[in-house]
Amino acid sequence: MNTYTICIFTENTIGLLNRITIIFTRRRINIESLTVSETERMGVSRFTIVIKHDSREAVEKLVRQIRKIIEVMAVFGYLNDEIVSNEIALFKIATPLGSKPLDIEYINKNFNAWVVYWQLDYVVIEKTGSEKQIFEFFSYIKPHGILEFVRSGRVAVGKTEKGLVEYLPEYEWEYYL
Amino acid sequence: MNTTVIELTAEKPQPAVPSAKLLKPLTGAEALMQALVEEGVETIFGYPGGAIMPVYDALYDYQDRLNHILVRHEQGAAHAAEGYARVTGRAGVCLVTSGPGATNLVTGIADALIDSTPMVCLVGQVAVKLLGTDAFQETDVIGITMPITKWNYQITSADEIPEIVAKAFYLAQSGRPGPVVLDITKNAQQELMTKSFHYQKCEKVSSYRPRLVPKQEQVEKAAELINKARKPYILVGHGVLISKAEKELLAFVEKTGIPVATTLLGQSALSVDHPLYTGWLGMHGNYGSNVMTNQCDLLIGIGMRFDDRVTGNADLFARQAKVVHIEIDPAEIDKVIKADAPVIGDVKEVLNRLMPLVNENDHTAWRNEFRKYDDIEDEKVTKPAIAPTTEKIKMAEAINLLSKKTRGEAVMVADVGQHQMMTSAYYEFKKPHSLVTSGGLGTMGFALPAAFGAKVGDPSREVIAIIGDGCFQMTLQELGTIAQNKLPVKIIILNNNYLGMVRQWQQLFFERRYSFVELQNPDFITIAKGFGITGHTCAQREDLSASLDTLLASETPYLLEIIVEQEENVFPMVPAGTSVADIRLE
Repeated sequence: MNTYTICIFTENTIGLLNRITIIFTRRRINIESLTVSETERMGVSRFTIVIKHDSREAVEKLVRQIRKIIEVMAVFGYLNDEIVSNEIALFKIATPLGSKPLDIEYINKNFNAWVVYWQLDYVVIEKTGSEKQIFEFFSYIKPHGILEFVRSGRVAVGKTEKGLVEYLPEYEWEYYL
Repeated sequence: MNTTVIELTAEKPQPAVPSAKLLKPLTGAEALMQALVEEGVETIFGYPGGAIMPVYDALYDYQDRLNHILVRHEQGAAHAAEGYARVTGRAGVCLVTSGPGATNLVTGIADALIDSTPMVCLVGQVAVKLLGTDAFQETDVIGITMPITKWNYQITSADEIPEIVAKAFYLAQSGRPGPVVLDITKNAQQELMTKSFHYQKCEKVSSYRPRLVPKQEQVEKAAELINKARKPYILVGHGVLISKAEKELLAFVEKTGIPVATTLLGQSALSVDHPLYTGWLGMHGNYGSNVMTNQCDLLIGIGMRFDDRVTGNADLFARQAKVVHIEIDPAEIDKVIKADAPVIGDVKEVLNRLMPLVNENDHTAWRNEFRKYDDIEDEKVTKPAIAPTTEKIKMAEAINLLSKKTRGEAVMVADVGQHQMMTSAYYEFKKPHSLVTSGGLGTMGFALPAAFGAKVGDPSREVIAIIGDGCFQMTLQELGTIAQNKLPVKIIILNNNYLGMVRQWQQLFFERRYSFVELQNPDFITIAKGFGITGHTCAQREDLSASLDTLLASETPYLLEIIVEQEENVFPMVPAGTSVADIRLE
């Protein structure tokens, strides 16, 4: 199983998320993570979808089907070494009286994680990094008692020199993979 | 509201003038009517209901410009629109209400998508403030039709109508055609536009750029393979007809001397008389045409998508051959069969660019290799089928005789099943755009509504529907539409009292366990009579010729029921999941 990151640039219209995800559903491909936001260009949304698949060919076919959606401007499929990617995670950790103290300095230095909010009996720690780094931190912090844990899903940019502007507005038939 | 329309009509005696500016504010419903007129729409297939009533009210004043055909069920509207689109090349238009009106269209929309048929469905919807409240006849039409449309859009204000309608027609008809659904909320139909009506045909959607003109290097690579090949073989699909490239295909075939087969939907793209035409492909296609896909050294797929009914087991299909794949839809390249030389573009454009690059050639010896299979098929299948000695009439002989009597020039609208395969196999198509059938989806009940849709689209041509007794009972209420609109469609029911194709499979692959395939049929002639359509039954071979003459001579719609042999099978047959080389003749 390889991890593929599929970046989709679309017009920002209602229902598009559904149109995109049914292409995955119909082919029984599970979405590992999905993020959507508007890009540096107004009215252009960027979907970042992470999937695992053992057939590159199947992913290529998937990408082509996504490209067929009328509002889709461009689709890029990437392997992990072709992108710079990151995720953000929030950990809500219980800190009742008498519990094992959190070593904040150690957490800062070794995990690049920060306390972003605190109350009397809990703190919220923010950790950015790869999926692997987040789970390393997860293992470390787990003994303290995790009240809540959430990951954002991957955001990614390609390592090519080209920016989105160079593909748009011509919207040529262009996609990687 | 009516005054506006009357003034409007008086001001604009020639409504088809493009980019007309109408100064009085129009309601959304009037804007929709005006947009259809300016788009050049002539016919609408529809059925009224609550959420589309403002549009029907506006239509009342547009009857002189828009020919509305009231169907008996919305599925009939969808298939009629498909039939219309398939003979005209223009989008068929459906107009229906929300909820059940829309859901009844669904089968037809799915059918149009898989057979690349342009269609614009105008669907009523509850008012915008009621969306999401489970209002009467509210259905999530956008959600339901999302996977089966090329594009869909919910119109919630009158001002959007001209632009969105123009976009809908452009998307439905350009590139690889397909169905578009516009879900129009009732308030958008009722309210006045806040700006003057201005219609401009859409010619471009920035995020959608179908490639018509192919890349030159792709064309050159394809030409190189074609020129080098010793046993090249052309497979022609629906795309040739959609692109209206029959002349270009003929020129290309004659210059290169390459033998040609068609897919089911590619039928009639090349006249069956042509010496290089070898037959048709697929599960029930010709013996030689199928087998030779596994013997050629180059396959040239033109406007086709290597459907599993064409390839059989794709892993065993044409492994020895290089593949040139000419297709407008990039997603079809490598989808089923890997292409050595894909050429993405409109078939007509591609063939025009290939022509100067391909060598004149003669492949007679290779063409003749097909003939030994033709001879075997003739002996084992065709001759016994068209000149049988059985007591009952055979489907094949009826179609064959019909073909002779119409000189192969009629538009055949075939339903789904054995009679469909027989129509494709035994009708000798001489003119393009002559087979209208549900290929990809295999929708039983398609033919009756599609036939009158085709007749409306091209009244100059004889339109003959070939329907099985099972299929007929799925949409027979459309006899009412045919009668009311006096559409002289010729209907032939090939009645074997079985769901014949399923029965054939049960016989061949399920040890004759005939599970729910026998039908107790009504008296079809009495039913037709009830709708005001004349007809008769033919059960004897000696009556067949005269019966067909009566049918063809009728100037009104006519129903001919032909009682055929009950357990006739369609051969050749490539059993599902096997190689085309395993084709069976008996």
